[in-house]
Amino acid sequence: MENASDAQELRPMWKKRSLLMAPYNFISDNLSHSYLIQRLIRRDLDARYRGPWLGYLWAIIEPILLTLAYSFVFVLIVGRADETYPGILMIGVITWTIFARTWTSTTRTLSANASLFQFTKIPKSVFAVSTMMTNYVLALISLVAIIPFLIMYEVSLDWRVVLVPVFLLITALTGLCLGMMTAPAAVRIPDIANFVNFLSRVGFFFSPVMWTYDMLSGRFGEGWTLYVAHLNPVIVPITQMRDIMFGTDSNIPDFGYGIWIGFVLTVVVFGTMIFQNRAHKVVAGL
Amino acid sequence: MKVLTMDDVVLTYPQTRFEKSKKIEPSKIGPVTIDFNEKEVVGIIGRNGAGKSTLLRLIGGVFPPDSGEIQVRGVVSLLAGVGVGFNGNLTGMENTYLYASLMGWKKKQIDEKIDDILEFSELGHHFERPIRTYSSGMKARLGISVATAFKPDILLIDEVLGVGDASFRKKSEKRVRDMIDGSGTVIMVSHSQGLMMEICDRIILMEKGEIYAVGDPKEMYEKYNKLLNLD
Repeated sequence: MENASDAQELRPMWKKRSLLMAPYNFISDNLSHSYLIQRLIRRDLDARYRGPWLGYLWAIIEPILLTLAYSFVFVLIVGRADETYPGILMIGVITWTIFARTWTSTTRTLSANASLFQFTKIPKSVFAVSTMMTNYVLALISLVAIIPFLIMYEVSLDWRVVLVPVFLLITALTGLCLGMMTAPAAVRIPDIANFVNFLSRVGFFFSPVMWTYDMLSGRFGEGWTLYVAHLNPVIVPITQMRDIMFGTDSNIPDFGYGIWIGFVLTVVVFGTMIFQNRAHKVVAGL
Repeated sequence: MKVLTMDDVVLTYPQTRFEKSKKIEPSKIGPVTIDFNEKEVVGIIGRNGAGKSTLLRLIGGVFPPDSGEIQVRGVVSLLAGVGVGFNGNLTGMENTYLYASLMGWKKKQIDEKIDDILEFSELGHHFERPIRTYSSGMKARLGISVATAFKPDILLIDEVLGVGDASFRKKSEKRVRDMIDGSGTVIMVSHSQGLMMEICDRIILMEKGEIYAVGDPKEMYEKYNKLLNLD
């Protein structure tokens, strides 16, 4: 550690950071605090799973139970379902859960860690990223629940299976950056956190969790509805993961990928910019 | 040699919608202009709500100022809210690593201090047990042991020396004195007049968010008592 006497010059405590560099600053801040992030992930996982008898098995049991419940409801409404439907549904459940949990928890991150922000000068984004990574680890564990379905359907996986964790991570990152856009405002206007919570619940029905991309394009063709639908950032990752794991081919049009990539990049840029500019200013009022 | 300078520093608290609608004057700290020197112990006193803790957080880089400039030489560490960030399900050892990382220390630095923390906290075999099984005194002991194990260049202390039983309080005070004798600068907030008079070289008297006076501890306490109408 540097001693006062070693450093010759006084240096400004707060350096002005360019807003245009916000995505870079975000990555650099979090990489330099990777050890703390690991500790926070372990704390959050332990808090959730050290008590229950079944421990981490809950990360697998929960999506299985949800899948069974949704499959039952779907068969009840539609009357029949494809035999691969439970597996397809489970991918939707896991992906939607990581997206919604990360989005809502990031929106509340500044209020939730208010007491810590009164004594630590660690960048605030570290706490949001640690929550996102906790959700990511849980989602990866949950994927184990899909293995029995893959065996049952005799699916042969190809190299593209390595993209599954990538799609999950991009989905989590999208939720994180959407939350970073709203988190500073949610400190002063708590209604925002409630509204995001509401959106995450309603969004479930507007996302391909219980339905599939084929059902959507089959119903609406390639009209404007499909363009609008692609503004939902989980449509492409969920559909891609299903195609990879169950060998289906949903034929997402090029504009679909374009809208998704554009959406993700936009929320990453604006999320990091808004959080860098506002988060440290609002914590004094917490 | 100056180790920290504050030049015309102002921090205005964000207002709630209610405060804005009622046109309530926003609370603020500053403008504050002051320098801190190497190896000096500075106390901050004032009534509740005078801005002592906020000033300490501005010095510690926890809150950014709205205007003005703070310059620093070396590493600053703030001891406040001992035990904030502890998790009941984690052991004393796990919480030590977590709390020290929250204070900004690296894993290697914590590894080097872990034996010292265990010894100073006197927790013995409890160190490996979840801290939900600890008494509040034990938690406080662990907190202060971690917080004082590291030697920053500038140590900021916010009302954390009064924790634990009488013998541990004595031990904590001695540890802070050792830190002062070591090399660093200490800036502290405490309501313990005896301690402040004994160890401070200078005292800052805060009133309504501004520095009311700075000077010799005895003189500052006289002014403070006048403000409180105790004389």
